[in-house]
Amino acid sequence: MSYAYLFKYIIIGDTGVGKSCLLLQFTDKRFQPVHDLTIGVEFGARMVTIDSKPIKLQIWDTAGQESFRSITRSYYRGAAGALLVYDITRRETFNHLASWLEDARQHANANMTIMLIGNKCDLAHRRAVSTEEGEQFAKENGLIFMEASAKTAQNVEEAFISTASTIYKKIQDGVFDVSNESYGIKVGYGGIPGPSGGRDASASQGGGCCS
Amino acid sequence: MQEAELHDLADDADYAASQQQGSASLMRSDSSRRSSGSEPDGAEVVYLKDNVTIHPTQYASERISGRLKLTKQGPSLFMTWIPYKGQGSNAKLSERDRNLYTIRAVPFTEVRSIRRHTPTIGWQYIIVVLSSGLAFPPLYFYNGGVREFLATIKLHVYLVRSAEDANVFLVNDIQDRLQRTLSSLELPGAVGVASGLSSSLPVGESLSIANQERTDGGSFDGSASHVQNNGRQRQKVQDPARDLSIQVLEKFSLVTRFARETTSQIFGESHSDGYGASERRAHNQTPHNYSSSGISNDVEKVPDEVPVASDPLEFEKLTLELGKPRQAPLMSNEWSTFFDSEGRITDSEALRKRIFYGGVDYMLRKEVWPFLLGYHPFDSTYAEREYLVSVKKTEYETIKNQWQSISSDQAKRFTKFRERKGLVEKDVVRTDRSFSFYDGDDNPNVNLLRDILLTYSFYNFDLGYCQGMSDLLSPILFVMKNESESFWCFVALMERLGPNFNRDQNGMHTQLFALSKLVELLDSPLHNYFKQNDCLNYFFCFRWVLIQFKREFEFERTMRLWEVMWTRYMSEHLHLYFCVAILKRYRRKIMGEQMDFDTLLKFINELSGQIDLDATLRDAEALCVCAGENGEACIPPGTPPSLPIGDGSLYPQQDDDIL
Ligand SMILES: Nc1nc2c(ncn2[C@@H]2O[C@H](COP(=O)(O)OP(=O)(O)OP(=O)(O)O)[C@@H](O)[C@H]2O)c(=O)[nH]1
Ligand SMILES: [Mg+2]
Repeated sequence: MSYAYLFKYIIIGDTGVGKSCLLLQFTDKRFQPVHDLTIGVEFGARMVTIDSKPIKLQIWDTAGQESFRSITRSYYRGAAGALLVYDITRRETFNHLASWLEDARQHANANMTIMLIGNKCDLAHRRAVSTEEGEQFAKENGLIFMEASAKTAQNVEEAFISTASTIYKKIQDGVFDVSNESYGIKVGYGGIPGPSGGRDASASQGGGCCS
Repeated sequence: MQEAELHDLADDADYAASQQQGSASLMRSDSSRRSSGSEPDGAEVVYLKDNVTIHPTQYASERISGRLKLTKQGPSLFMTWIPYKGQGSNAKLSERDRNLYTIRAVPFTEVRSIRRHTPTIGWQYIIVVLSSGLAFPPLYFYNGGVREFLATIKLHVYLVRSAEDANVFLVNDIQDRLQRTLSSLELPGAVGVASGLSSSLPVGESLSIANQERTDGGSFDGSASHVQNNGRQRQKVQDPARDLSIQVLEKFSLVTRFARETTSQIFGESHSDGYGASERRAHNQTPHNYSSSGISNDVEKVPDEVPVASDPLEFEKLTLELGKPRQAPLMSNEWSTFFDSEGRITDSEALRKRIFYGGVDYMLRKEVWPFLLGYHPFDSTYAEREYLVSVKKTEYETIKNQWQSISSDQAKRFTKFRERKGLVEKDVVRTDRSFSFYDGDDNPNVNLLRDILLTYSFYNFDLGYCQGMSDLLSPILFVMKNESESFWCFVALMERLGPNFNRDQNGMHTQLFALSKLVELLDSPLHNYFKQNDCLNYFFCFRWVLIQFKREFEFERTMRLWEVMWTRYMSEHLHLYFCVAILKRYRRKIMGEQMDFDTLLKFINELSGQIDLDATLRDAEALCVCAGENGEACIPPGTPPSLPIGDGSLYPQQDDDIL
């Protein structure tokens, strides 16, 4: 299927926070509580529409276990977006965010859009991290933030799509040179990159080229 | 400026010590005269150690001794290890092996970590891991000096002890973050390191079976098919005795032809008029005319594809039989013939061979696996085994009791235990739950997985629990059905595969390094392709190796593959040849579509469920035979699943005050 752009996403965060479940909910619209734990990396893909343009999201669901980090780091390269996930019922998964963020900043490209997700918000009665704390962390680190549930599908669609919108906006603003694939963006057939090669035809809707 | 540096170094005790070693002064380069030709201009030797040795095989006679040096050039520190020419045990060392193992001036910007091993008996050794993820073979310090080595490095680059493992030293971990990011992210840097060993090979020396066996060393750059073809023609004239390995190679060409046809059937709708058809046409001509094969076929206009260097093992198109066909699994009537009257297996070699070629009937696995895994000795009697089982059952209960007796109150003050238990509990409910033996709510078998894994983490507290173990245990429990027996079979398996789960991934890196060497040996064009495309870390094979292809095949087939590997009949490292065999089956697609690291990783992931087990096993067998000793030499001693070499403690946690 043809697309205007292809964005590479990575999903990162501690083991068991629900990365694979979020992906499955997004790609297949189902919750599979006994999904196998992830070794290395798994892949998913889905088309979304942003600004009436078809955009393909290619999603890399990485293994969360600490000792696999030296391997999973090599998957960050060239990601346009990252979903950084913690589990609102397990405080330690929130405490580890800083180290995940550091990894991402070190091994991914600097313009990567990062969405912080507090998952399992259906388990409000077991909550160990407040929404405000999540917001605060996101604000301090310049991340987008949402609480979501892979089980009820709450905010799952929104999380993936608003990340895509942000990336799309960055393209329009000329933050990315889309011809350089290290930014995790591929231009597809419907992409119609403007004459500069780095601008979409609809750039005028976004920030002007002088801003 | 050089003066100043020299002066500084002369003050340094390590440097002074290295001067005493003798020849260090010769190593000082005044740019006109360089001692070994391997030091960069203006380099200063800051550390030098003789008799630092690698053990390419388990045979003492094949060890290679050399000189390890640290040199400093400007702000950069380099490590070099050069084998001695023809002395002592190096006397038999071929120039090719010398080149294969030589470590030429690796800059420390490209080193990620150094792991020190201090066995209670035997020599200290280190393993140097590069930021590309590859590692050099263990370097044994026959004359000691690991400590000075590390101390010297510390004087020149930022070196910190890993917080997770006191024997791991991280290079440039903080200070040089930018540098490291660049070297691990930016392709060219990483490629350079990753190929540390091989890039230093003169092209003519690159290992190609075809070249080595069939020509007298005509130049061969591994990527231009016409050169190979020349080689072949020359070979035709030479016509040496057709020894076994050549015959295997010939047979192998048919295996890969079959593989290629399968590949193009699976993937090739879009190019069924492209290489698929032309390949078939080409292969149907028998006997095949060499000079018209290679190039013309490979370059034939295939939409969206580029010409692919031909497979060096695939040069004879004769209609010979395939390598040994797979047999039917071992059944109980045949199984009983292997025992003497007291229950000893008298000819274990024959048994292992039988299972290697056919596997085991599913009803028999419960009896056979404990032998293959090494839990039951082949020469034990019925009575001895019965006794062992009962003793081991008690022992299991004792260990299990250790964690079961931890009260919830005590657990509150025992974070490590709580974390471990939490992790295991989280993982067993995510292991093979779609398989009927483990499905449904409150499945008792899932609880058994948990109990066994937790007990194992107390049996081997240093290694503990790590993800991937539940994948390895699951088929064992399914086969053995019995808790204590499953545990001891798992223990036996972990004797060999434990290092896969080392926190520093050292066991994995060693295997991936060996794999890269094997591909270089058995398919140098593919190796070169990986090198050019920054894929030499072989991370795309990580899951294959970590859990022994468990996720690549359905349950029954995984068990078949495992029992074949556990025979250790052809090689202890059949799994690596199996990796090469899969890669070779898809080499055309990989290279033809110019897959980059990301695409390749995704492609390999998605091969899950697509791999033809029997055919790939045959390929692996053939590869193993044709690689022969050269293949084994690619695999450093102690590479899992070999038993660890002369090292009392597998997972050393000792402290040391040098840093
Ligand atoms: N209640 C609830 N449970 C969830 C939710 N998402 C995931 N889970 C559960 O959390 C467990 C872990 O989810 P996974 O998606 O496998 O976790 P992961 O982050 O992919 O873990 P690794 O692959 O080990 O890195 C699963 O067994 C799910 O049952 C959620 O939104 N709500
Ligand atoms: Mg997962």
